[in-house]
Amino acid sequence: MALNTSTTSSVERLERSRSSELPTTIDELRSWGKGESSLPAIDVKNLKVYYDSEAGTVKAVDDVSFALQQGERLALVGESGCGKTTLGMALMKLTKAPGYIDGGQILLDGRDLVPLNDEEMRLARLAEIALVTQSAMNALNPVMRIEDQIFDGLIDHGIRDSKENLRNHVYDLLRRVGLRENVGKMYPHELSGGMKQRVAIATGTSMNPKVIVADEPTSALDVVVQRQVMMTLSRVQRDTGAAVILIGHDMGLVAQFADRIGVMYAGKLVDIGSVQQIIEEPKHPYTKLLINSVPDLEEKRERLTGIPGIPPPLVDLPPGCVFAPRCPSVEDICNVLEPGDTDLDDNRHVMCHLFDPDVTMAGSEVG
Amino acid sequence: MANLLELQNVTKIFGGGLFNRSNVTVAVDDVTFAISSDRPSITAVAGESGSGKTTLARLLLGVIKPTFGNVIYDGQDVSRMSGNDRRTFRREVQPIFQDPFEVYNPFYKADHLLHVAIEKFGLADSRDERVQLIRDALETVGLRPDEMLGRYPHQLSGGQRQRMMVARALLLKPRIILADEPVSMVDASLRATILESIRTLNRDLGISVVYVTHDLTTAYQICDDILVMYKGSVVEQGSVERVIRDPKHPYTRLLVESIPQMRTDRGWDEGTDEVLSIDESGETTGCKFADRCPQVMDRCHSEHPTPFQIDDDRVASCYLYDESPIANRSTVAG
Repeated sequence: MALNTSTTSSVERLERSRSSELPTTIDELRSWGKGESSLPAIDVKNLKVYYDSEAGTVKAVDDVSFALQQGERLALVGESGCGKTTLGMALMKLTKAPGYIDGGQILLDGRDLVPLNDEEMRLARLAEIALVTQSAMNALNPVMRIEDQIFDGLIDHGIRDSKENLRNHVYDLLRRVGLRENVGKMYPHELSGGMKQRVAIATGTSMNPKVIVADEPTSALDVVVQRQVMMTLSRVQRDTGAAVILIGHDMGLVAQFADRIGVMYAGKLVDIGSVQQIIEEPKHPYTKLLINSVPDLEEKRERLTGIPGIPPPLVDLPPGCVFAPRCPSVEDICNVLEPGDTDLDDNRHVMCHLFDPDVTMAGSEVG
Repeated sequence: MANLLELQNVTKIFGGGLFNRSNVTVAVDDVTFAISSDRPSITAVAGESGSGKTTLARLLLGVIKPTFGNVIYDGQDVSRMSGNDRRTFRREVQPIFQDPFEVYNPFYKADHLLHVAIEKFGLADSRDERVQLIRDALETVGLRPDEMLGRYPHQLSGGQRQRMMVARALLLKPRIILADEPVSMVDASLRATILESIRTLNRDLGISVVYVTHDLTTAYQICDDILVMYKGSVVEQGSVERVIRDPKHPYTRLLVESIPQMRTDRGWDEGTDEVLSIDESGETTGCKFADRCPQVMDRCHSEHPTPFQIDDDRVASCYLYDESPIANRSTVAG
């Protein structure tokens, strides 16, 4: 196994920019990230991701804040184009030009990722924050054995250990996601879609990251396999104690997996609360419509209702509330004044004038 | 009871040419079902990817011919129709496809597709009449004609494009619409709107619909009857109320249990026995589901179960129900 020592300069660069605590052996890796911390696993503050285009600045993620404790699971939902994937990519600092992070902080266990340089960020990925993508099929190298692909990530992050130890670690990872050891010797084409997605989970968690960003990890899979993969992610998450950010649009899946749900609309996090709060007592008019548009198996409905209208173009957002043009409870103020974040309780925030105690509206529920 | 569209013991085999007889795929395996002309219905064809549901839809459309068996439309074999009958069939059985992006030519305005349909079938005598037909069709599916006409496909949202396809199908005054995963590529919030417009066609205009899908929740919401397919065979069929609320075949049960439901009491957490996924299961001579089935019996590995009539509204091909009478397949209506 080549240990990536082709040029001295690359090794030197690696040694220089490694944060001193990163594990160097499999033994150290096993206890890595297990320590208790009073800080949130990830604390996002006023994050802005903008794209410059000829038509103007696209505010794909606009002033989003949320915090996630160790072991917590947050789901981000919303229609396509609401900015949920852009947000996920920004957390990994994988925003591609012409996009850029315009401001805000991404505090990972207290350390801000935004000012990190490329090399520091490269080391933070996988070891501290890992990504499991939608298309695991495309994330795997077709001409490399599975175990070699997992070794690559470990070695690139400075793990120097015997081949035997490395291999045993990979076998542990594979068993944890419910795959047999011999999958390590296989090539991606020999695996089914569900198995590949499990390999992606095994790879993503190979260094016990504090945060896992899972972007629609099962949208390409059938229901039966989807359930197996989500259960796998569940188990691994419990095992490693990582916080998970699940990006998805299937409200059923989200309800079954997450502890909290954040609802995004036109780049803003308009509603966030526990699964119970969001599903049983949705507050924001958009959340209500979203919940109502989900068909269920409980009873046959006379009419299926969607959400009328389409999301606004992000270069040309309406003044005032972004949801006002589609909102059934819209009032004059909504077209003029942008609603701020109202804290209903510790973990419940809504961006809507209806719940702002400083704004009086006909349908206001706060009083 | 007269049948509008009917499959009689249809089998479709792909591959396996003159020199390669071993490497064949049985995409559809001895499927019999019928859509009655007595009352307009919505029938779901459900299954995972690779279950043969799209092949079944293509057989019904007459795009491919069955290897064995017959596809009968209005009493006539689809593969032996004369030119005129074939033309009528092509007009009366309309498809709606999965991808609302690929069906449009980006160089033409979106409504070009509607004009072509009217021209080809000579549905209008004048330009005014043609435009009026288009406006009516767009309004029926809940689109505002003034917002749609004269726009290019890229200026429309996915939901608008897909509803325009429903409008196109509607223009031709079909008797059957075959919708192959019509909402799997649009956002959840738009799904409801599109499905509702499909349901309107059925309720108000009396058009029968075959809804091919992997999504049992929407199938339950809009359909009357359902066929559940597994590896090319129909494992269970009957009214959606029975099949989805009280599934009998172990495969249907597995499917229904796997649906993530938007509820806060999680029925979905761990503790479920690991079932093999579809692509991990091998070939068998008996029941195709045998190696994944939690209730498998010895005979399942060697014998292929026939459909048993479990109750008035439902048939399942599984030996768990061999005390029920064998279903008379000629009367099995989808």
